[in-house]
This record gives sequence, C-alpha cells and structure tokens, in this order.
Amino acid sequence: MSATGSPQQRVAGREIPVRRIADLSHLPSDYSTTPGGSIFSTTPGGSRIYYDRSFLLQCRNSPLTKSPPPNMAKIPGVTVPEGSETKEKSVVEEKKPNPPADPDDQFQMEI
Amino acid sequence: MDSEEVNHKEDLEKNSDELSQEELEEEVEDDEADMDPGPLIKHPLQNRWALWFFKNDKSKEWTANLKLVHSFDTVEDFWANQALQLKLVNRKKLYNHVQKASKLQSGCDYSLFKDGIQPMWEDEKNKDGGRWLISLNKNQRATELDNFWLETLLCLIGEAFDDLSDDVNGATINIRNKGDKLGLWTRDARRSDAVMRIGHRMKERLKIPAKISLGFQAHSDTATKQGSTARDRFKV
Repeated sequence: MSATGSPQQRVAGREIPVRRIADLSHLPSDYSTTPGGSIFSTTPGGSRIYYDRSFLLQCRNSPLTKSPPPNMAKIPGVTVPEGSETKEKSVVEEKKPNPPADPDDQFQMEI
Repeated sequence: MDSEEVNHKEDLEKNSDELSQEELEEEVEDDEADMDPGPLIKHPLQNRWALWFFKNDKSKEWTANLKLVHSFDTVEDFWANQALQLKLVNRKKLYNHVQKASKLQSGCDYSLFKDGIQPMWEDEKNKDGGRWLISLNKNQRATELDNFWLETLLCLIGEAFDDLSDDVNGATINIRNKGDKLGLWTRDARRSDAVMRIGHRMKERLKIPAKISLGFQAHSDTATKQGSTARDRFKV
C-alpha cells in the first residue's frame, strides 16, 4: 500500500496484506503508517498525528490552500507589499481580482 | 473553464467589495463542489504552530522587531500561508522576494515555533534548551537554504521526531551577510539522548552529507559566550 492520497481517496477494497518477519530490523520503514498520515495509537500518552513528507507536499495542491488564512498579520514586505502599512486595507481586499491576469502568476486564484 | 464558472467569476468580481472573508472562502469551496470530496478536508496537526518574522531595525527594541505572521493548526493552512505570501507578492513584481527566506534582507529571520513559545532564548520553554545549528556559506543561500528551511518546517508540522517531538520547540532561519544560519531548537540541552537522536534525524531528513558535522549549542552558553560562537555540547 502506498502512502499517497488521503484515506477518502481510497475506495477500492482489498485484502489486508500479511507479512511475517523474523527480526525487528526487517520491519518495513512505513510500518504502522496509514495513507495520508500516521496515527500511532500506542504512543505513550496517547495518539500523535504524524504526516510524512510526501503527504505534506501533496496537500500543497489542495483547493483549501487557496483561501487566505483568517488570522494573517499584515506585515509590509512579508505578507503585504512594502509601503502599504499606512493603508487600512484588509487581507480580503488585497485579494480582489486584479485584471489583467499575469500569466506568470501561478497562484492566481480560480474563482 | 465552463460557462457557469465564467458567470460565477463575473458575479464575484461585482460583489467582491462586499464579500467578507468567510463568504470568500465559501465561494472557493462552492467551486470545488464537483470534485472528489476527499481532498477537501483540512488535515489537523498535532500542534498549533506560529510563524514569526524578525527584521533588524536598530532604532527599535529587539522585541518590537519581532512580528507574529500567522498561526495555524492544519496542513492546508500551513500551505495557504506560504501561497498567500507568494500571491500577494507576485501581484506587484517588486515584491516577489519576500516569500522565500533566501530573498529576505540581511538581518531578517523567519521562525516557526509551537504556539505559546516565543522565538527567543528567554522564553520559559527555551531557556534550558539549545539548538542544532546549520551554518550555510554564501553559495548555499541560492542552492540549499530554501530547501533546508522547507524540509525543516515539514519535519516540525509533520512531527518527524516521533516520540521526541515534545522535545522540539521550533526552528529559526537567520539571513545574514556573514553567513546564514538555520537552527532547530530543543527544549532541554541536558537531555543528551533526545538531543542526539533529534540531531541525527534532522541530518538525515535534510540530507546533509555524513562528512559535514553539525553542532548543538545550549542557549545558556550562547548567551554568555566569549568568542564568536559558543562551544558545541554535542555533534552529529
């Protein structure tokens, strides 16, 4: 089972694969991981939410990453262009469609 | 893009002045209604994280130069934060330098820490801790720095340190003309076994060659150092 895709994307049923090992060192590196993250239910103190690198990178393309975070600070030169600190512009106003679209702008929102 | 979406876009442009943030987010989600609902779940993180920005302005107090950019507790909000920076920046070509750490001015820092921990030695959760330090040379700002920083962020939010994740407080990247530095901060410099295992994991995840050695310095040593660098308590 590959570690790609969220659990919801996996709909086809299949048998649970069985693998027997003689030595702990032969454990596969992805042992006890689940697609789209790993819940180690036996961690002392309870479960912990892990995400592996490839899954985190995959989430980068989710439509949900296209909405601005609700609590973003306005910092000129970091989250808003330099010199805009005197204007009382909200983040939402910053996001107004701004024609003409720049073909190089790979983060142009699809709205 | 089908015609319905085009109309939708025109509506949105007309109304965009009145749209609240919440409504705007709903619009985006409506557009995706035909998609597989699977990816439209925000994936919760184990911890809430805060991204900080520091800009060296000697006319102000150190703490006045430190700004909280954003805190988040889902994978998607982490990426939205990164993407929004890029988007706002790209709108005005002048500012396409701010998103990447490698394009910050000398004297600036980014920090990502668990919510409630300030990115400074003095914080109660940091004062007994220290940092694994990667010192970059000038060439590496262009070739390695952004990758190292992104990999470090992914280690933090994905809890890559397994049962030692509670020992990790955050990370800081310092952009300096004399040499950039990336530090992974742990909570207790006396926990040698935890510190060593975290160092090995960091080295492995950032794919740092075995021949390059990384040093760990306690914040208390750095604060009282005599020379330019504090002594290494540990090495990997």
